[in-house]
Amino acid sequence: MRGDALALAVLAVASLSALPVAGQPAAGLVVQVAAEPPGLDLTATPASATAGVVFYNIQECLVKVDRHGKIVPWLAERWHTSDNRNYTFFLKRGVRFHNGRELKAADVKFVFERAMNPETKHPYPGYYAAIGDIIVKDDYTVTFALKSLNANFLLNLARQGSVIYPREAVDTLKSAPLGTGPFRFGEWVRGDRIVLTRNADYHVKGLPKLERVTFRFIADPNAALAALKAGDIDASLFGLGPEHVIDLQKDPRFTVIVGDTTNDVILAMNNSRKPFTDVRVRRAMTHAVDKREVLKGAMFGMGRVLGSNVDPLNPYFVDLAGAMPHDPDKARKLLTEAGYPRGFEAVLRVSPQYQYTVRAGEIIVNQLQKVGVRVRIEQIEWGQWLSRVWKDADYDLTIIGHAEAWDISNYANPKYYFRYDSLPFQELFQKSEVTLDDKARRDLYIQMQRMLVDDAPAVWLFMHPRLAVVKRGVQGIWKDLPLPATDLSEVSRTP
Amino acid sequence: MRGYVVRRLVAFVVTLACVSVLVFVAIRVLPGDPVLVMAGPEANPEVVARLRAAMGLDRPLVVQYAEWLGHALRGELGVSLQYDVPVGRLIASRLPVTLPLTAMAAVFMIVVAVPLGLYAAVHARRPGDYLAMAVAQLGLAVPSFWAGLLLIMVFSVHLGWFRSGGFEGWTQGVWTGVRALLLPAVALGLFQAAVLIRATRSALLEVLGEDYVRTARAKGVHDGLVVVKHAFRNAMIPVVTVAGLQLGQLIAGSIVLESVFALPGLGRLALGAITARDLPVVQGVTLFVASCIVAINFAVDLSYALLDPRIRYE
Repeated sequence: MRGDALALAVLAVASLSALPVAGQPAAGLVVQVAAEPPGLDLTATPASATAGVVFYNIQECLVKVDRHGKIVPWLAERWHTSDNRNYTFFLKRGVRFHNGRELKAADVKFVFERAMNPETKHPYPGYYAAIGDIIVKDDYTVTFALKSLNANFLLNLARQGSVIYPREAVDTLKSAPLGTGPFRFGEWVRGDRIVLTRNADYHVKGLPKLERVTFRFIADPNAALAALKAGDIDASLFGLGPEHVIDLQKDPRFTVIVGDTTNDVILAMNNSRKPFTDVRVRRAMTHAVDKREVLKGAMFGMGRVLGSNVDPLNPYFVDLAGAMPHDPDKARKLLTEAGYPRGFEAVLRVSPQYQYTVRAGEIIVNQLQKVGVRVRIEQIEWGQWLSRVWKDADYDLTIIGHAEAWDISNYANPKYYFRYDSLPFQELFQKSEVTLDDKARRDLYIQMQRMLVDDAPAVWLFMHPRLAVVKRGVQGIWKDLPLPATDLSEVSRTP
Repeated sequence: MRGYVVRRLVAFVVTLACVSVLVFVAIRVLPGDPVLVMAGPEANPEVVARLRAAMGLDRPLVVQYAEWLGHALRGELGVSLQYDVPVGRLIASRLPVTLPLTAMAAVFMIVVAVPLGLYAAVHARRPGDYLAMAVAQLGLAVPSFWAGLLLIMVFSVHLGWFRSGGFEGWTQGVWTGVRALLLPAVALGLFQAAVLIRATRSALLEVLGEDYVRTARAKGVHDGLVVVKHAFRNAMIPVVTVAGLQLGQLIAGSIVLESVFALPGLGRLALGAITARDLPVVQGVTLFVASCIVAINFAVDLSYALLDPRIRYE
């Protein structure tokens, strides 16, 4: 009898192991995302978790930033401007929304007029502030008349807030968005997953290649790692740190993608608080930090050392990593000149939500100690960081990544948490905003980058790398991220 | 008995009122702004101000609390700032994960702990006892999140018997649901089982030293019968008290395990709500959990009379 029971138990265990684990069809992809979107309406929330699911997958824009960072025609097959004030867009014919209706110029007018209407609480009204009038010429032609020159006008039309949706679907954007994208919204199981299915009528022939995409919400990186190894997910595009990736690089079951991003990680200094009001102190801070060492310790060497604020994916990027090199002697000299021969004390506030900021902080504290700057690390929760550091500028030093593309504008805003107030820089930036000639604009951007190195309002540490892990056989994932998006339209997999 | 129940009910309401004030104040005193968390560091101040007004967070704290209380008394717990969904509906949607998880962890805890505790007491200071105590010590020493990760590594990554996390829902079949919750339930129940093993052992050991047990043995009653019929029932009161307290801790402990196993339960809802400063959700979940714990304690108190007929509620 006892023997029978044992045999039964063995059989039960054997049948358990024979069951398929998380069965997914070969043409489906399960992607881990760390945070669940608060809602799916890109015209209502700036949350990157929303963009990660919706942007470029469910909804698209008139123009698109492609995987190389270039602005290319998309729902508009071309555009024309003769004076940089009136932009005419010619819509691609036969583009259908997921409800089957064809995209028309009136939809474009509706979408942007709604975005410009303060009542709708669009998260980025500033992107459309230059638009004066939107004129529908015919079903496939629409003209934007600008009130003032705006060098970023096309870029702003390619951003996540500028997606085109059918006017009749406004009320369901938050929970079941419609668009023209390669995938249709399928289902949202709150707390667990969002499923997208293939749009068979997609306007780009041959795309998408996947039948189904499932975004699973797994916040804990260790749990995400286990899910990858157990075969429960096929890809982790943002959730893993360098410490996890190192291990997976050796595993033949996975492909690790290390690419560039627009995420600049900086050691920010409160420019309105002593001793950081003195440019010599800020320069001393830059000379005291060995960025290569920081990159090695915090990111296991993945990423790229930066010298100024523009990221390597920006067309106007100049490599200034060596412009103010690691030189502790010079740092000490500058501190003495500034009246701090014995250094000073400061507090570094970081949020463990971004583990790399804590790791980088620990290394930097050691390096600063060598020139006499005694820094105490204070770890605070993300909500507190936003409130105390970012909003109230109640800090001496902090470390954070700035993920947005073209964010040099932050240094032209004296109220931003850096509290960097430089009139020459602000003038230069304003000029760049209305300069449309590419060469002239590039020159202005180079001047701005150099001015920042000189003024040292922050220490630019490194570009945070894109670290994505996919199962072997999954192809077509963007290597670099010229803007924060998860475009899965060209992704395919071989079984 | 009736007077007792009424007194307990009043205490129940007062406890919940205190909890609601505490949570309301605590989350406001904490630095951190729901609007900033939602809008992110790249948002401009205009957007932040507009969002704040839209959420009604620009009004005085007392006004916000009074309004919330008024609605709560009518059974409305407010609307989530993050999801724009009624809090009651959000909580209800998470119960099919958290309740079975807690129940399974409780079953695991009792099924493992009571027999082991009993065995250890009967075999006190013998190898079996030491082994049981070593198991209990291990359960106490291992943090539940680590136990969870360990279970995932063994049973999901290496053996492939279970999914590493996630929950497909009960619509996929009862077995699929149970299978998704089994590992987290074990990880969750481990620590509590360890506590209960020790509590059962010491309670039973005390009773086994009583005169009436010696008398029963002297009368020649079979040893097994003495333990089960005479001693165990009398040892149950402290065991039930500890188990009741632990049931409450299981609900609270699910916060960590639901994160490790990526389960869409109440714990993860609460954690996300705290991070996002989603006040109505934090408030609603806390009230719900507090109600559960108070109700469990109430049930434990009532069960004493069943276990020991000498106990009367006057």
